[in-house]
Amino acid sequence: MSGQRDTGQRHVGQRDIFLVANSVDELGGVTSWTHHMARLLTERGHRVHVIGITTPEDPHDLGELPYPTTRLYDGQPPGPGRARDAGMRERAARLTRLCGAARPGGVVIVTQVWAMEWVKHADTTGLTVIGMSHESFETSRRSSRFRRVLTYYRDVDRMLVLTREDADLWIGEGLNNASYLPNAVPWLPEVPSPRTEKAVISIGRLSDEKGVDMLLDTWSEVAPRHPDWVLKVYGSGEDEEILRKQCASLGLDDSVRWMGRTSDVPAALRGGSVFALSSRGEGFPLALMEAMAMGVPCVAFDCAPGVHEIVRDGEDGLLVTPGNTGELARKLDLLLTDKSSRDRMGDTARENIRRYGTEEIVGRWEELFTFLER
Amino acid sequence: MFGVKVELRRQPSNTGSGHPAASEVGRPAVSEVGRPVASGTGRPAMSVVVIVYNDEARLSTAVRSVLEQTLRSVEVVIVDDHSTDGSYEVAGRLAAEHPDRVRAYRLPENSGGCGAPRNHGIQRTRGEYVLFLDSDDVLERNACRNMLEAAESTGADLVSGLCVRVHVDTRTRKEVKWYPWLYARTRTLDSVSELPDLLVYDTLSTNKCYRRDFLVEGGLKFPVGIHYEDLFFSAQAYAAARRITLIPNRVYDWNVVESSEAKSISNRRAEIANFAHRMEIHRRVDRLLADQDMAALKFHKDIKFLKHDLVLHLRDLPFRDAAYRREFAELARAYLASIDPAAYDEVEPIHAICAYLLRVSDWENLLPAVDTLTNRDKVSAPLVERDGRIYWCDGHLDGTGEEGEFARRVLDVTELGYHARPVEKLFLRNELTQYEEETARGGVRLAGRVTNPLGVIPPEARLTAELDFYARRPGVRFQTFRAPVTAVRHDGPYITWQATADISKILRPLGIVDAVWDVRLQLDVDGKRTTSRLTAAEPGLATGELLVRPRLTRLVADRVEPLISARGHLSFRLVPGKKANAVVTRGLQGAPGRLAKSGYRKAKALRKKATSGATKIRLYHEVFQRMPVHRRLVVFESHLGRQYSDSPRAIYEEMRRQGLDFEAVWSYTGRPDGFPADVTLVRRWSLPYLRALARAEFWIDNQSYPLKLTKRPGTTYLQTWHGSALKRMGFDEPGWKLKTRAEQAEQQRTLDRFDHFLIRSEHDVRTLAKAFRLHEKTLLRLGYPRNDALAQARQATERPPLAAELGIPADKKVLLYAPTFRHHGGRRFALPFDVERFAEEFGDEYVLLVRAHYLNHVVLPPSVRGRVIDVSAHHDVTPVLALADALITDYSSVMFDYALLDRPMLFFAYDYEEYVHEGRGTYFDLLERAPGPVVRTEDELRSVLRASSLEDQTVKYAAARERFVADFGEYDKGTAARRIVDEFFAEWRQQ
Repeated sequence: MSGQRDTGQRHVGQRDIFLVANSVDELGGVTSWTHHMARLLTERGHRVHVIGITTPEDPHDLGELPYPTTRLYDGQPPGPGRARDAGMRERAARLTRLCGAARPGGVVIVTQVWAMEWVKHADTTGLTVIGMSHESFETSRRSSRFRRVLTYYRDVDRMLVLTREDADLWIGEGLNNASYLPNAVPWLPEVPSPRTEKAVISIGRLSDEKGVDMLLDTWSEVAPRHPDWVLKVYGSGEDEEILRKQCASLGLDDSVRWMGRTSDVPAALRGGSVFALSSRGEGFPLALMEAMAMGVPCVAFDCAPGVHEIVRDGEDGLLVTPGNTGELARKLDLLLTDKSSRDRMGDTARENIRRYGTEEIVGRWEELFTFLER
Repeated sequence: MFGVKVELRRQPSNTGSGHPAASEVGRPAVSEVGRPVASGTGRPAMSVVVIVYNDEARLSTAVRSVLEQTLRSVEVVIVDDHSTDGSYEVAGRLAAEHPDRVRAYRLPENSGGCGAPRNHGIQRTRGEYVLFLDSDDVLERNACRNMLEAAESTGADLVSGLCVRVHVDTRTRKEVKWYPWLYARTRTLDSVSELPDLLVYDTLSTNKCYRRDFLVEGGLKFPVGIHYEDLFFSAQAYAAARRITLIPNRVYDWNVVESSEAKSISNRRAEIANFAHRMEIHRRVDRLLADQDMAALKFHKDIKFLKHDLVLHLRDLPFRDAAYRREFAELARAYLASIDPAAYDEVEPIHAICAYLLRVSDWENLLPAVDTLTNRDKVSAPLVERDGRIYWCDGHLDGTGEEGEFARRVLDVTELGYHARPVEKLFLRNELTQYEEETARGGVRLAGRVTNPLGVIPPEARLTAELDFYARRPGVRFQTFRAPVTAVRHDGPYITWQATADISKILRPLGIVDAVWDVRLQLDVDGKRTTSRLTAAEPGLATGELLVRPRLTRLVADRVEPLISARGHLSFRLVPGKKANAVVTRGLQGAPGRLAKSGYRKAKALRKKATSGATKIRLYHEVFQRMPVHRRLVVFESHLGRQYSDSPRAIYEEMRRQGLDFEAVWSYTGRPDGFPADVTLVRRWSLPYLRALARAEFWIDNQSYPLKLTKRPGTTYLQTWHGSALKRMGFDEPGWKLKTRAEQAEQQRTLDRFDHFLIRSEHDVRTLAKAFRLHEKTLLRLGYPRNDALAQARQATERPPLAAELGIPADKKVLLYAPTFRHHGGRRFALPFDVERFAEEFGDEYVLLVRAHYLNHVVLPPSVRGRVIDVSAHHDVTPVLALADALITDYSSVMFDYALLDRPMLFFAYDYEEYVHEGRGTYFDLLERAPGPVVRTEDELRSVLRASSLEDQTVKYAAARERFVADFGEYDKGTAARRIVDEFFAEWRQQ
């Protein structure tokens, strides 16, 4: 997979970098990450090309991009089976052509394992291939991606997950090329949240995975003790109706505000003083990093290594055993009762989150490219 | 037998050629192939030193594993220890093929070890980091990249990764990880003192990468002229490293070839010599640690010596002659003297006992102890009870001063609970004392003696016995052959026996597939059976050959010979010998054999599938459930079949009392002891169980029938449940909440099987019913049938018969300690207070009953006999509750039931915060609502018991108890069983 091409040359400066995702223009965490990364690498002078396998029916408008994009299929590829296999090589040939035009030192970053099924059919000789998994080991293990990661990423030059802990678990499964690189916090705002509104904020898709049902259970224990506080739930999704029903049956309609989807996360965070994360599973949750960057202290289910990697329990936020809503309620109660700990943790969070600043993270990526050439 | 070979395998076969080691560097006589080292530029990141001695066949594989590393900046330095085969030529060829990456050197004369060539290799390396590889092993392809990344990101002097032993000559290339618990995750140590087990256990030098400057500047070298050089080198490197990083990555494949040749006598000499080397290396390491101010590590090393190094050699003792034993003991004793006595407390009792008996040269007790070391659950010593404690043997206990105290501490085996086990649950040592061939009748005369610990086999017991012969391979164990035992009787501390087994007549193997036959003695003690194996304590006791007639063919073998297994037990082996055997063996290993074997394996897999859970579940749904409902069939189950107890029992007994016309089936798990005789007993998950469940008209259970079994509409499920809730249950538990919606729906389906659910109070409605998301119509507000007896006992003035059964004197009050289930420490539950002190202090006034949760297990010392009684084995807790004058609990749901008796309750909540917050949480704050004093420490517990009498407590907390019963047991009126029968089974009353 990697370089038989002359590696004597050093590429301190610019590289050809291909970011391959499931799709170029769908809504979702990994796609956002891909474009965020593409932008950052472009700004550093690399020649970035974002490649998507599929084109969604309702593509998200990306606006003007400073880098080219390619879609292997105009719509969905055929489902797994003979039809897909037949066309795969042909589509992969486009990848091969793109890779073949790359100068020495080029890198292919496959952001999702599904996309790797195409990349493995392409000729990437001379390029460094990096495979990524943007979720926790545990979340993968519960899904069909687990086997596929083990199969398709076995021979890539580096398989990257989000934390050391997750990498160690993959290594334990025999994936000896596993390592890790955390995500960058997308922005570090000049002005933090004033933390004046008596509101607990939750931001996330309204889906089972995000566990808003557990947050409502929790809130039913907290609300009676803090009648002057509200819970603001941002986001939309397939579970909205079920959750609203649950909210009503718990008698929480007066203290829960359904805010819908937002594109202005900083504004949302300015309207609250505490952030709650009650997910069943996570990778390296962006929402936590954003809240911390805004100086909003977090109370979170410790549902993934990424969570305790970001939040230092008791120092810049509070962690709770996943699913233990009683404890989540108790910890929220602590913060809601005590303004001084809110302020202390919020300020510390804003400071601590800087370690995931974009400079720092992009620098680590460039070091990795160089290391993999040795 | 693992470890001995472990460090030995790196020895070339011609140890000690007598030549001085060629460790000197730069001696002109060292030959060299490869491009001369260019100075300055292009320093590789890593150098791998590959040493070779007479291994021309495998060398290139080892080297290729380096050249194919994902990290390209790697060079290879081959050092040939003056091989007599073509190893050096192979090395030279590799160097010529890869002039920039491979160099080869040859020592002028053989050094006899691994130290000298590795030392030489270090001098020849140019890389920033150095690794060692043996010519018969390989590196994992990412090893260098992973180690380099770790080293550079942490700045470590030493990076160590996971080594895997690959058994290359097994069919599946079996892999065994080398101390994987050290390598579970990435971690960086600033000193090895942070993880002493690393130095103590992972003594290999080959799964590590060392900063070259660290080795050279620190003058780190392998010792030369002594075995076990790895032990010293790794200890030295660990101690010197300023930073060590451990990575979970597999880095090194250690290829193991099992040698099937038996060890010969000449090997014994080598074995003793090796052991002397081992002791010497240990001494050197100890000196090194002392010099480096790391004496604390010596303690950990001592622990490992007791439980690992010594054990490897001790296990061989029964197979060795007296001369060997003497020499071994002398060497070991000299080193044991340097072991910290406190280390004995850190190892398992049997390890400490063996080391101690070896130290004091008590051979008579040591050899049986070694038997237990090898066969861990075996009781091999007579044991002795003294001052309320149990000791391994009666010698050494009377010593005075520190030594005497030490002996008593080491030999104390009370905690192992041998004294609490009935004879049928003991695996006793059975020493073979006679083995004599009787050629004329084709038999052997055998005699032996069975250990009788603490006289568990009483002198008046009726004894009978027989010998069983059975094939070792379970797959071919079609038949057991028996031989009668004559003369089995008491003889001092032993049970002796004699038997004449006409092997030629009784033993009829098939041949080929069942070549090895094991023997066991079945000893019948008053109808209880205890099984033992025949241990040959001395080598050479059992020899000779006996004729047998295999059923398949006598061509391959027609004789058996005695064979002592690795565990020291007598067995018989068909003697291969005839030419025909070679033909058959060739057939077995050739194509037809392979075919037959794979067919056999397939058949086995098929059988396994046919009896698997999935098949049974299908059978249940597709066959049994299609049969008609069996009217008046009731399947009862309590706690997943573990007990005959609780409300299902109370309902069953009420149904019997009223003489209802019905068919009762009880499910059991494990042994059916203690279940009633007049019911049909079915083992949980057996086919009769599944058939009964599928066809029953009623299910009555207190926990859950198998989740995967659906309930047909014609069956009514009466779920009695087994206690009100303090801790969160069902969908209020974190574990359930975390389930996905689909998983929750699946779980709900199993709960929706309940047609009726018993309720003791509105608290149950708010907690259990809500947590299980039950419909109001399923709730039966009738109280618990199991508690009828308690509601009635409230008025009772006389003690229940259980008091007499347990031997409780009339003048003593009864305290019951019934804690809830604890996870930590496995099944064994350690009491959170000093039970001997408790008995000492309160034994005159109280008898303490201890009831561990049914999933836990507790051991009481004999010293508290009569004053503290373990009642955990009683199926039903209700009579125990009724007997107790007061209850001590923590968070167990017995508090809700016991409250019905209106007797004093004490709450020993020593870990309340942990239980409440770190666990799954509680429905209410026990500290606020407990109807009795809550104590947090053992001292508080004692002072409450001392300060106030039970009568005081009764009065003081009367109102609180009344409130507690009103809150948690309002429907327990003592009539639950009767009302359930009225409601559901009235029609079954016989006219």
